[in-house]
Amino acid sequence: MTGTVGILNVGAGDTKLVFDPANSQDCIRAARIVKDMIRRGYALLIEVVQSDGTKQYQRAYDFKEDSFEYIVADFDPVVAQTEDVEEEAPQVGVELAAGDGGQSLATPPRKSGRKGSRTKRVSATGTKAVAVARSAGG
Amino acid sequence: MPVQPGDELPPDKRVLLEQFDNFAELRNGLKRVAAVQEHWAGIPMPMQDAELIIEPKYPNAEALSTRGNYTPEQQSVESPIKIRNAWWSDRLRGDIYIYEDEAGKVQHLVAPKPHMLKHSMLTLGCSYAWGIEQESRALNLLATLVQHHTFKQYLLTGMFMETSKRSGLTYLFRKLRPTVVLDVRAKDSTTARILCALCLHPIAYYADSWAGAMCPTDDVIAHLSLMRGDEHMFWKRSNQHLPGRPEAGL
Repeated sequence: MTGTVGILNVGAGDTKLVFDPANSQDCIRAARIVKDMIRRGYALLIEVVQSDGTKQYQRAYDFKEDSFEYIVADFDPVVAQTEDVEEEAPQVGVELAAGDGGQSLATPPRKSGRKGSRTKRVSATGTKAVAVARSAGG
Repeated sequence: MPVQPGDELPPDKRVLLEQFDNFAELRNGLKRVAAVQEHWAGIPMPMQDAELIIEPKYPNAEALSTRGNYTPEQQSVESPIKIRNAWWSDRLRGDIYIYEDEAGKVQHLVAPKPHMLKHSMLTLGCSYAWGIEQESRALNLLATLVQHHTFKQYLLTGMFMETSKRSGLTYLFRKLRPTVVLDVRAKDSTTARILCALCLHPIAYYADSWAGAMCPTDDVIAHLSLMRGDEHMFWKRSNQHLPGRPEAGL
């Protein structure tokens, strides 16, 4: 099972990197290129199979050259924001219920949108990805 | 080799195709130089009659850019006219400028933009930067990213829609036009609200046109991939045009 990275390219239209487990030399070269692209600010959008079997695209933040794995965030920013709003609602209820002249009860600490630094690794072999260079605007 | 151009044409067919393309030799030369210098996204092609705007951190950006030595700071020191404010008017279909003239008197000026014919003509002129082979490969890549009916829509109309699974916003992706963002999330809503038009070109684009340095379908793929993979980054890296502005292409 091979993985591919389609690099959007001005002169070639689409250049492909291939991660073939049967060819370690090419995998090493491809890994070097992926690492270099991430360092230069390219966006690596990879297709990740979720726990329920559906496929979703996520951006890779880093790449492990020794194990040929993409590092992606293990949280969804929109879902995290929604959960934050829901968590703050009970906090407001606790403050209003205090009947001691405005002195509120102890409230739970405010949680940030980013759920710590949870990441997960996705193997480059068997994964489809697209690499997009930095934007010049428009 | 790990780096493979997707679906290379047989040499005789490529020669035949490039016979009709006067810019093929320059394009191929830039492709070879980019491969040697490890510029993974290639080198944008400068065009004689189009100003090339390049992402500032891209290698050799200053040398390739044709923006010239003009800087806003120099203009404000040398020119006696000071622009106090500027905004777009949907009613007048133009930019309104409030400025102080040499005598210090405050004046106003309307710069009309009733249509975008000039924008369209410049975009047409920039088509020499792209090759049919590059566009063909980009179409092949797009075909692997969307369903059949969506690809058919794109081939026949130059656009298609997709709703983000994360935010619920609907994006209308268009060839050679900014991506339109629609909000149809309200359950009782029978109309869509246009939020803005997002314009983004990887590496470089040609000023006063909708043309990017990459072939048109590569720009569409960039928009689609970013929307799916990192919607926040898509918005952050794009230029947001109000729906009423002519640059939005609506």
